[in-house]
Amino acid sequence: MSDRELLELIERYHQHQVTSSERRALEERMAADPAFAQRVQEAKLFTAALQNHGRQQALRDRLNQHHQQWQQENVTVPPVLKRRTPVQIFMRRYAATMGVAATVAIVTVFSSLLGMEMWRSATKQQAARYVELRREMDDLKRKQNAILNTNPVAPKASSLNPGQFSGTGFVLTSDGYFVTSYHVIEGADSLMIENKSGTKYKVEEIYSDQVRDLALLRVIDTTFTGFGKLPYSFKQKESELGERVFTLGYPREDVVFGEGTLSSRSGVYGDTASYQISIPLNPGNSGGPLLDDRGNMIGVISGKMLGVDGAAFAVKSAYLLTLLDQLPENRLPKPISLPKVNTLAGNPRPQQLKKLQDYVYMVKVYN
Amino acid sequence: MIHKALVTDAAIIEGILQDDDTALSRLYKLHFPMVLFFVQSNSGTEDDAKDIFQEAVIVFYEKIKAGQLELNCQVKTFLYSICRRLWLKRLSRSSRFSHGMVEDTESELAPQVEEEVEQAEQNELKFEAMANALSQLGEPCKTLLEDFYIRSMGMAEITDKFGYNNVDSAKNQKYKCLMRLKKLFFLDYQVPS
Repeated sequence: MSDRELLELIERYHQHQVTSSERRALEERMAADPAFAQRVQEAKLFTAALQNHGRQQALRDRLNQHHQQWQQENVTVPPVLKRRTPVQIFMRRYAATMGVAATVAIVTVFSSLLGMEMWRSATKQQAARYVELRREMDDLKRKQNAILNTNPVAPKASSLNPGQFSGTGFVLTSDGYFVTSYHVIEGADSLMIENKSGTKYKVEEIYSDQVRDLALLRVIDTTFTGFGKLPYSFKQKESELGERVFTLGYPREDVVFGEGTLSSRSGVYGDTASYQISIPLNPGNSGGPLLDDRGNMIGVISGKMLGVDGAAFAVKSAYLLTLLDQLPENRLPKPISLPKVNTLAGNPRPQQLKKLQDYVYMVKVYN
Repeated sequence: MIHKALVTDAAIIEGILQDDDTALSRLYKLHFPMVLFFVQSNSGTEDDAKDIFQEAVIVFYEKIKAGQLELNCQVKTFLYSICRRLWLKRLSRSSRFSHGMVEDTESELAPQVEEEVEQAEQNELKFEAMANALSQLGEPCKTLLEDFYIRSMGMAEITDKFGYNNVDSAKNQKYKCLMRLKKLFFLDYQVPS
């Protein structure tokens, strides 16, 4: 029997179209030979697969028809999503990653910019900064002093309000005009002046020049009878470089002397209204008088440069004098008559200071 | 509502058993839009949806015909679950970047359809392999085999149709064709172990 004939026999066997003798022969052979049985089974499976394929093909055709029908009925249904372009696919895939990266980049950029800016401004501040030398009263220090002080009158002293700020000032005329820096009295409610010997006067503001940092005050105390004859006069002309200059001031409770030279004829940032002087100054010195060797008043202490060695500044007396000249008459209760005679010239420094210190006052500011 | 759905399901199954074409049509109209929406909102096209849906329907249809269908949920849920699994599998296979990233978040909620999904995929492979083999076989072998095995024509009829001298040479031709088809088919398709 050829392979072909055998196959036909097997097919007939599966379709139950064999005679009983053929069937018996086949079944006996299958029972005796498992390999043959396997072959019969495979032939059956393959035929079934082929037939199944045909059935499925028909079913698929039908389904496709239904699909077409469905499509025709739903023509109006627009495509929900369009086919994405490669760019869109890329964006969709990496959008989250790119978002995170962008956020990190932005945060980094801005924080570093901010950090650099802060660092720069901080170093700049340290490099050079102009400060006005008005003194803020230190409550704590005063209290400690009061505790250490066993003097029984101490409670009375501490009950007196010492003021919030203090500076220095000096007498302009013997009949009660007085000069200090504007920034010392800025925002003041009431003002007191007090000198080394304990003399206290209440003063009021007559005129202030914010630009030149000068303030004109006047004693309004009823007990005031006059300062007496002033030992110094005011210098009209500018002083020369290198001149020896000195000042008296109240950077603390007691009067302090400071000496140096006139180191520049212009002030901070090229300000020609000021001198630069090399006197060590501290908060509280502001408003103090600057005098030259002969006892001429040549300026008013105004401030110093932080971070620059030995650079303090004083407003030139010439500007004080022009200010006084330009004051409208009706602003003044009394005309100003400046002292003309200088009794300090030629005296040694301690003598000069002894005469001078009665006319230099601590200015106390209450607000 | 559920009652109505059950009645519809029963009607469809009955219709398929009786080879009623309207049953398939109804099945298509009722359940295809849902699958279409799912596939389209998961970066697929209408053609993808059609393929997936038809694979699922074929499994469903053959199970009914073989009387093996054990339905413990609605037909809608059954078909949707199969389509869902099939599509997610296909997605994770095709995208090389998001490998393993396509997660089936609802797998616990859906009925267990692994067997059906497996069957659908196997079925598809088999169908493809057979279609390929048949097309590679060429004429007249293809038509001859289809006539004999699928359309169940008799050998005498085939002898007439193809103009063979006698039934024997037709049989001979058929045998050769079948052997070639078998060879081609098993080149493509491995019987699952």
